[in-house]
Amino acid sequence: MITGTGITKTYKQRGDVLGSREVRALRGVDFAVPRGGAVSFIGESGCGKTTLGRIIAGLETHDSGEIVIDGTPMTPLSPRRRRPYFRRIQLIHQDPYSALNPTRTIHQTLRAPLELRARQTGRPGSWIDQRAGELLSLVGIDPGYVLGRYPHQLSGGMRQRVVIARALTVDPEMLVADESVSMIDVSMRLSILALLKDLRERLGVSLLFITHDIATARYIGDAGELYVLYRGQVVERGLTESVIHEPVHPYTQALLSAIPVLHGLERPGRERVVPTEALDERHADEGCLFARRCPFRTERCEKELPVLAGCQDSSHEHACFHPQRRAVIPVEAVA
Amino acid sequence: MTTLSHGPSGSPGSHSSEEGDLVAGPAAPPPPGVRVRDLVVVYKTPLGELPALGGVGLTVDPGTITGIVGESGSGKSTLALSLLNAVQPPGRIASGSVEIDGLGDVVRLDGDPLRRARGRHLGYVFQAAQNSLNPLKTIGKQLLDLGRSHGVADLAALVRDAKDLLGRMGLDGARVLDSHQHELSGGMRQRVGIMLALVLNARLVILDEPTTALDMITQATILRIIREIHKERGLTTLMITHDMGVAAEVTDHLAVMYGGQVVEHGRTTEVLGSPAHPYTQGLIRAIPRLSGDITKASALPGRPPTLGTLPKQGCVFQERCPVRMDVCATVAPPPVTTHGRTVACHATAAAPPLDGRKEQP
Repeated sequence: MITGTGITKTYKQRGDVLGSREVRALRGVDFAVPRGGAVSFIGESGCGKTTLGRIIAGLETHDSGEIVIDGTPMTPLSPRRRRPYFRRIQLIHQDPYSALNPTRTIHQTLRAPLELRARQTGRPGSWIDQRAGELLSLVGIDPGYVLGRYPHQLSGGMRQRVVIARALTVDPEMLVADESVSMIDVSMRLSILALLKDLRERLGVSLLFITHDIATARYIGDAGELYVLYRGQVVERGLTESVIHEPVHPYTQALLSAIPVLHGLERPGRERVVPTEALDERHADEGCLFARRCPFRTERCEKELPVLAGCQDSSHEHACFHPQRRAVIPVEAVA
Repeated sequence: MTTLSHGPSGSPGSHSSEEGDLVAGPAAPPPPGVRVRDLVVVYKTPLGELPALGGVGLTVDPGTITGIVGESGSGKSTLALSLLNAVQPPGRIASGSVEIDGLGDVVRLDGDPLRRARGRHLGYVFQAAQNSLNPLKTIGKQLLDLGRSHGVADLAALVRDAKDLLGRMGLDGARVLDSHQHELSGGMRQRVGIMLALVLNARLVILDEPTTALDMITQATILRIIREIHKERGLTTLMITHDMGVAAEVTDHLAVMYGGQVVEHGRTTEVLGSPAHPYTQGLIRAIPRLSGDITKASALPGRPPTLGTLPKQGCVFQERCPVRMDVCATVAPPPVTTHGRTVACHATAAAPPLDGRKEQP
């Protein structure tokens, strides 16, 4: 179980002539990923989802708030003492082309972490190659075909599978997948997603899925929770199906409305929400962060910041003064 | 070779007579049709010359907005460049023709006539517009360069048209023309790209992955603008994309490419509602969706071919096809057109799965 409370992160952007500017990437985010669970963070670029993923994977520090891994708070620990905890959380990069060392064969790429693992667990050297083969089979590729090859000799889909196999060398508890299929051909995306789903079911690895593509999050995390991030704040959270089919925050609704409709298979939702203007991160921080773009804003929204509150209970929460369900997602056209 | 018998009538946004405020001028020519015939484009590789397009046929009716959908290596970008006769070495157009109304066979054009045709007749919106804009010059300077290189006499009118177009797309025209590209967001740059493609009154517009790298909401805005401008100016629009959803949202016709061939072409709603080619069927099943049973989404086995891994003979899709027959290994299926739908598949030709679909009047 991994939880976070009040995670904040502010970047200083090196500025122009007017001096530097602060970018508040995360403004106090709470989350919980249960053991073996699937949680998705969705939002547009700049919403803080990637920063949050990197903080959870231990690749970046946060300014305030606490991350607790299996009951142990991370803040009091020295960086060295934290390392074994974060090693159990592995990040899968977006770009399978740059994530692998081009001068190493797949065998060499897998061997290095496995050697370490063998030493840690007191296994014999013969275990290493056997495990490399097992892991590649586990991610659905033929070890005999890929072990001797270099990354450039493999397709994007295969490389991404190798990246996943490498993440599995340390027997992780959680995989953090940040837009991990966006660079892969459409017909092969689903097979990578299916693999991640399958690993969760078979190995009990929990999954943190970070994406701008809500339909993909629905495929991978249909049983889990979905967090909608906007400008560093969670604006809606709940069971994936519930947030997608009964969204109450206008930003979630705008995001869902923006998903292209497959005309011929679907009809557009009746109440699609379109923001009144484009995102401008320089908008004042006063009041609701979405107020300037929200078609339903009132005076209160411009003055006061709404905090997460339950719709009926805490299983579906929103940060909006005027939550209202709207039919925004496409409806099946075929009877 | 592909032929299409249906006319533009009934397809949304296809009527040049319904032009809005932004009519190109009193003597604006009608939108052109495009006829690609047996187009073969080869690339020189260490293994010899390999075909990126293996005899493509595609008829685009005037006034339609057609999506060309395919994965990497399908040949969609090569096809788009061929329409401008802009295939660069190591590639070359080996044979075939690209007839565009008002221009003739583009493959035979070169030099000055070709340069004039690009811009005047053909507008091209590049993928990631930031890479096609000069970072050192303001948008306005680039607009004037464009005007001068095409011998525009009235540059003031050109600037006025550009401002109108930008204003039409929700931007402050004067401010944008005074800006450098780094001062504009991705969505704004993409709109600048569309403006530059249209400002010389091109009637055929080719958009190459116009929303790649844009956020969902920005993408939705750009797609709406593309649809509206297409309608208002009475254009023939071609949109190249890897994203079936993007094509579905905007287009009225859809051509699906695979391995250097157009494997299916028809009305968008029909291609999506009752896909006939096994590749189209697989591709649609592989899209995770917001409604319906998500567990029904399933991956398409295998991976798209590259130049080197294309089957030497027979159907380009044979290796991944769930309904492969013996003939598929040896004979390339010819495109067959029924009820305005063109499909290149032996299995479909043997037992058309279009039966369940309502017949067109």
